[in-house]
Amino acid sequence: MSDLSERMLAATSKPPIKEALLMLEDGTAYRGISCGAEGEAFGEICFNTSLEGYFEVITDPSYAGQIVTMTYPQIGNYGVREDDAQASRPVLRGLVVRDMCYTPSNWRSELSLPEYLEREGVVAIEGIDTRALVRHVRDFGAMRAVISTIDIDRTSLLKKVKASPSIVGINLVQSVSCDEPYSFGFADLVSEKSFALSSAKEVSHRVVAYDCGVKRSILEGLVRVGCEVTVVPWDTPASDVLAMSPDGVFVSNGPGDPDVVAGTYEQVGKLLGELPVFGICMGHQMICKAAGAQIEKLKFGHHGGNHPVVNLLTGRVEITAQNHGFNLVFQSLGPFVSEQSGGNGEHQSDLRYWNEKHAAPLVANKRFGGIRLTHVNLNDGTAEGIAFTDIPAFSVQYHPEANPGPVDSHYLFTAFSRLMDGEKDFLDIDIARDRLEGWRF
Amino acid sequence: MPKRTDIESILVIGSGPIVIGQACEFDYSGAQACKVLREEGYRVILVNSNPATIMTDPELADRTYVEPITAEFIEKIIAKEHPDALLPTLGGQTALNAAVELAMRGALDRFGVEMIGCDVETIQKGEERKLFNECMSELGIATAKSGYAYSVDDARKIVARIGFPVVLRPSYTLGGAGGGIAHNDDELALIVSQGLELSPANEVLVEESIEGWKEFEMEVVRDRAGNGIVVCSIENLDPMGVHTGDSITVAPAQTLSDIEYQRMRTASLAVLEKVGVQTGGSNVQFAVNPDDGRMVIIEMNPRVSRSSALASKATGFPIAKVAARLAVGYTLPEIVNDITGSTSACFEPSIDYCVVKAPRFAFEKFKDSDDTLSTRMKAVGEVMAIGRTFEEALGKALRSLENGRAGLGVDGHVRASETKEGYAGLLARPTCDRIVYVGCALRCGWTAAEIHELTGIDRFFLDRMADIVAVQEALRGVRIDDMDAEAFRIAKRYGLSDVQIAFLTNSTEIVVRTRRKALGVTPAFKTVDTCAAEFESGTAYHYKTYDADESEIGTQNSKADSNGKPKALILGAGPNRIGQGIEFDYCCVHASYALKEAGWETIMVNCNPETVSTDYDTSDKLYFEPLTFEDVMDIIDAERPEGVVATLGGQTPLKLARALEEAGVPLLGTGADAIDLAEDRDRFAALLDGLGIAYPPAGDATTLDDAERVAARIGFPLLVRPSYVLGGRGMAIVYDAAQLRKYMGEAAKISPDHPVYLDKFLESAIEVDLDCVCDGEDVYIGGVMEHIEEAGIHSGDSACCIPPFSLSDALIARFRDIAWRLSLAIGVHGLLNIQFAVKDQNVYVIEANPRASRTVPFVSKATGVPLAKVATRVMAGERLSDIELPPDDLNLGYCAVKEAVLPFGRFPGSDVVLGPEMKSTGEVMGIASAFPAAYAKTQLAISYELPTSGTVFISVADRDKRSIASIARDFARLGFDIVSTGGTAKTLASSGIPCRKVGKVGEGHSSIVDMIADGEIKLMINTPFGHGSRGDGYALRLAAVRYGVTYATTIAAAQALAAAMEVAKNDGLDVVALQDLPRR
Repeated sequence: MSDLSERMLAATSKPPIKEALLMLEDGTAYRGISCGAEGEAFGEICFNTSLEGYFEVITDPSYAGQIVTMTYPQIGNYGVREDDAQASRPVLRGLVVRDMCYTPSNWRSELSLPEYLEREGVVAIEGIDTRALVRHVRDFGAMRAVISTIDIDRTSLLKKVKASPSIVGINLVQSVSCDEPYSFGFADLVSEKSFALSSAKEVSHRVVAYDCGVKRSILEGLVRVGCEVTVVPWDTPASDVLAMSPDGVFVSNGPGDPDVVAGTYEQVGKLLGELPVFGICMGHQMICKAAGAQIEKLKFGHHGGNHPVVNLLTGRVEITAQNHGFNLVFQSLGPFVSEQSGGNGEHQSDLRYWNEKHAAPLVANKRFGGIRLTHVNLNDGTAEGIAFTDIPAFSVQYHPEANPGPVDSHYLFTAFSRLMDGEKDFLDIDIARDRLEGWRF
Repeated sequence: MPKRTDIESILVIGSGPIVIGQACEFDYSGAQACKVLREEGYRVILVNSNPATIMTDPELADRTYVEPITAEFIEKIIAKEHPDALLPTLGGQTALNAAVELAMRGALDRFGVEMIGCDVETIQKGEERKLFNECMSELGIATAKSGYAYSVDDARKIVARIGFPVVLRPSYTLGGAGGGIAHNDDELALIVSQGLELSPANEVLVEESIEGWKEFEMEVVRDRAGNGIVVCSIENLDPMGVHTGDSITVAPAQTLSDIEYQRMRTASLAVLEKVGVQTGGSNVQFAVNPDDGRMVIIEMNPRVSRSSALASKATGFPIAKVAARLAVGYTLPEIVNDITGSTSACFEPSIDYCVVKAPRFAFEKFKDSDDTLSTRMKAVGEVMAIGRTFEEALGKALRSLENGRAGLGVDGHVRASETKEGYAGLLARPTCDRIVYVGCALRCGWTAAEIHELTGIDRFFLDRMADIVAVQEALRGVRIDDMDAEAFRIAKRYGLSDVQIAFLTNSTEIVVRTRRKALGVTPAFKTVDTCAAEFESGTAYHYKTYDADESEIGTQNSKADSNGKPKALILGAGPNRIGQGIEFDYCCVHASYALKEAGWETIMVNCNPETVSTDYDTSDKLYFEPLTFEDVMDIIDAERPEGVVATLGGQTPLKLARALEEAGVPLLGTGADAIDLAEDRDRFAALLDGLGIAYPPAGDATTLDDAERVAARIGFPLLVRPSYVLGGRGMAIVYDAAQLRKYMGEAAKISPDHPVYLDKFLESAIEVDLDCVCDGEDVYIGGVMEHIEEAGIHSGDSACCIPPFSLSDALIARFRDIAWRLSLAIGVHGLLNIQFAVKDQNVYVIEANPRASRTVPFVSKATGVPLAKVATRVMAGERLSDIELPPDDLNLGYCAVKEAVLPFGRFPGSDVVLGPEMKSTGEVMGIASAFPAAYAKTQLAISYELPTSGTVFISVADRDKRSIASIARDFARLGFDIVSTGGTAKTLASSGIPCRKVGKVGEGHSSIVDMIADGEIKLMINTPFGHGSRGDGYALRLAAVRYGVTYATTIAAAQALAAAMEVAKNDGLDVVALQDLPRR
């Protein structure tokens, strides 16, 4: 940087300039400035379109192995409140922003985001034309990338990023799951949030939650609808779970490629039909894998807080929080059952077809019987949720716990509670009324 | 749920004239709605009294009624057209109020008209504080502590309970009119008594003050299946206490964490559901305590609003369009996102830029009125700017305002205070310039924390501004040659304009630009796509940024677009302000339509979010950018258009014309030299001399001695004005040497380095406006308008009539002849507006402007000839003879009257007298077979009713005493009692007109002001005594405005009013659709 440039920034809220470089595996490079820990971070580049909620994104265990680009340009505005963290420490590989805020403003803020990143050792880069980066990723797909604050030589970085491992085929779940079972209940809710949240319902169910990298707000969501939760490691044998004789089993979100998480989905397969089961995100994929489904990698995934998902059973649309790079291929769950699908046609690749037909199609799964498609993404017609018709189980690809994002899908927690109560129409809930649950205005 | 087939025709109510608090955003929303409804195959019937709107273009609806928006008139329209449904949610508060009244008087039931988009119960729940508070408490959403007052005593009792300060809100007034904050008993008594008068329900809400809290607004859309989305969140930079319309606002919300934001979102959706908004857009406003996050709901509006227009422009999500579709039965998931063309409209836009809206004020027009910003909106317009950061967007917004500023300070303006301490008072009181004072204070060493204490502005914004100032100060005194590319980029990313950089580096804008470009520092253009680039978008809606890794439009090498079409760039009109309103946006939109039809690719540049021109589907491409030389040239460098249209957007683009031409930019139509020929007084006078056309004798003067010499030569009265100011600013009429002396002293303050112009003022001359189009060979006369008010009143504030109602054919032939000769002599290619004065049958040319005038839309509506389109085609090279036009000299067979709408009610303390300085914000039109009926319609369109009986108060200046008798006789004949003071009473008595004499102001017990206050006076005729009168008349006129008494301040207006009232009384007012007018 020129002397004049440094002088121009000297009296601003920015610290002294430390240059950094973001390099993609295809050789595209972006010059920027370090705004987190020093070092070199490798990961898959992805982006998140949430306008607020950067801290929840950064601490979401599902981002293990990834370098996250925030599309909103100014990040860190309201600082960091550690009560909002989704895990005890951030596991994303790196963070890319257009402009980092060093002087946050919010009554709840405890420290600035760059302070937090530095403390937690997260490499971050600012000053990037993030829109250009996002358009590149959109056009060329998710790819490996590196942020470096110590080596800003393009040739050398490109070589390093090409040599770095891909997250496809890597089991990231085991790296973020808990080592030992632990319980999570009423006492674990954050009292500080009571300015906005009312207290939890009385305990009515005991639930075992498979931790594939579970977000704290999911556990809170379960507790709030009256669950006493025992969190278990990702590869806990089904027999151990059955021995605890819970009312239901929850399978959590988690990072990376579901195909390599056999340690979870094989056990889930043994629990399906035995106990009511609910899965979110990776948990949904585990349930689908247990039913023999094929999971595909999306070009650049869904990461944001504004995707419309239609509930095919009610026709209502939820604005959802999404964070996944892999997705269920619905056809792979089994042959189509026309008479149970409103008499309509056959498998469709664009599942929005079913919204237009006002029908929720059913397939006959070899192992578990009927599986209905319950939720579809209205933007791209991908599968977002399924419910089993012969056994008590359902799952969604998106995030009803939000954090960050809209809470339209909160009713899915209520639905799980109703499923454990044996209600047949457990998904038939007025989402507008349910959305108000738990808020204190 | 598909669209409804049980309804076929829909009545859409517009919002009427542009007033403070209700501007052209409703033309934008209404025009979108009309388009959508017709696309869906419905028969659309429209009522709107505002002729300057796109929505009243006859092509936009099946039946267009330019009629007063009152229940009486709408009922007449319903009786004639029998619509199946009424859509009231797209025409602001005016439409909502009219719809409620129609429902209440049973008109909807009587004619079987269904209200869609909303129902009366919902409107009432949204508006009536008690019902609203009950709904909120059922939801558990907190509202500010409050109570209702029906008298000042009531208010005192409530204050005893909740304590000062309190916010006062009269029920059912526009844009918070009559509201305010009271800190003590005096203020309470004053505001409550005013508010009770203004409120149709005589009700004032007294509310706990949450002044200083953070303010947020959520734009929500809901469908009948119950799906709800938040299109945009907006955070106010100015904290609670300043009306949202007067506040700088930022989208998206900047300082809310996820839990706070989601709580607000959930509450917003619940509010719509609870209040019962079936379908459509609404806004919900919240206040948040910055210390503990306590959230309080302020209000909600069950209709589209100014902020929904802003949200639409800020996100690319067309709220009004979607709302119209939802009203006819569609659900959100059935609608495709217009911008991406592929994804669903049932989603929440994600934006990857920051949007700043800044209000535009006009306090300089209203001397003596308080310029403190409060809960009562005073802004006359607004701009929006898009940048990748708040810093970039703020800089753009501040230089878009057309107030001579080039960003946050450092642009050559004088400092408001020389000392650090001097800023304390300037910061504590919210005013239109406070944002600039914040910059100055930071520069003088105030810390952000100190400024926060005084202003309540969130630290986030202050810290960003502190950074901007730090960057600016580091550049101060640097030589421009020492600035490298990186330094330029930093300056640009912090929102500095070339003008600011030039100021700091002691250089000029052109040098800065040249150096910047030589160093390769050019901006990129990004796209507004609703989805933060997640999906591809086919809509060319762009903004400029110095995040320049990638530009999404590329630099074009050819002047034609990829289809081989030539490209035309249209410069818009910028923010609405007095003197430059929706009329110019109308012209720009028409230019775009005409050029598109003629096979051009159209590119619009504008920064006003309220307008139709900034709708992304008006032109082929939209650049949402400031209309400065720098910003426009950057777009021209990127687009390389074949031609630029600079003469249709009023003063804003016209000011750029010369600089653009000097930079080698091809202008379409009239060239910069011809513009200069008409604008330069000496050149123009020489031209008129050469053509043998008369004009009022004139001179100029820099000293009082000079001025006195000119006065001696041409004689009093004189029309005097400073040179180099716009919109008649500082213009006055002086009748004698004493007034001239006073004026010269004041003018020196306004424009110290420039001469004052002195023109012979043609007293009691009749003024005439003429709009024509010239192609260099032929001239087409669009319309000749006779003013109601006599010369001396700004043409924008005067009522006028097509055709002239009192002038001979011979005179009209003279005007036409002069228009022909002048157009050709100036070298006009496009529009020309000429103002004439007629005195003693002599015709004088007062001025000629080779550009679109304020009257073009009115003329077009009155004659059916779309003048702006014709002019645009001529500018693009067509000949008038090739355009199919009706003869321009036929009798219309009806009268069309335009009347100005004045905002005095918003500026207590400001005199309401009309003069050479324009003060109106908007206009209405009335059409009828004869002048009195057309004029009556305009009066009804403004005030919604005319007095039919009671007492009229008459008091006129000596020069008017001769003409008042016949007018007074008319009022007496109409059954009015007449009261009068001193001299006027004597005049009337000697003419044998019965009249009661009353005391002047402060004279005896029953002074006239008391009578006005007691509601005894229904109508007031008061003409002022010369320039700057501060006598009785002033107090009387203030009282009339304050108590809503119909008044006239000129003899001509009084005469027209008398005739109008007679027609209205006999109910001679039929409604007529534009499509039914006999066309020539």
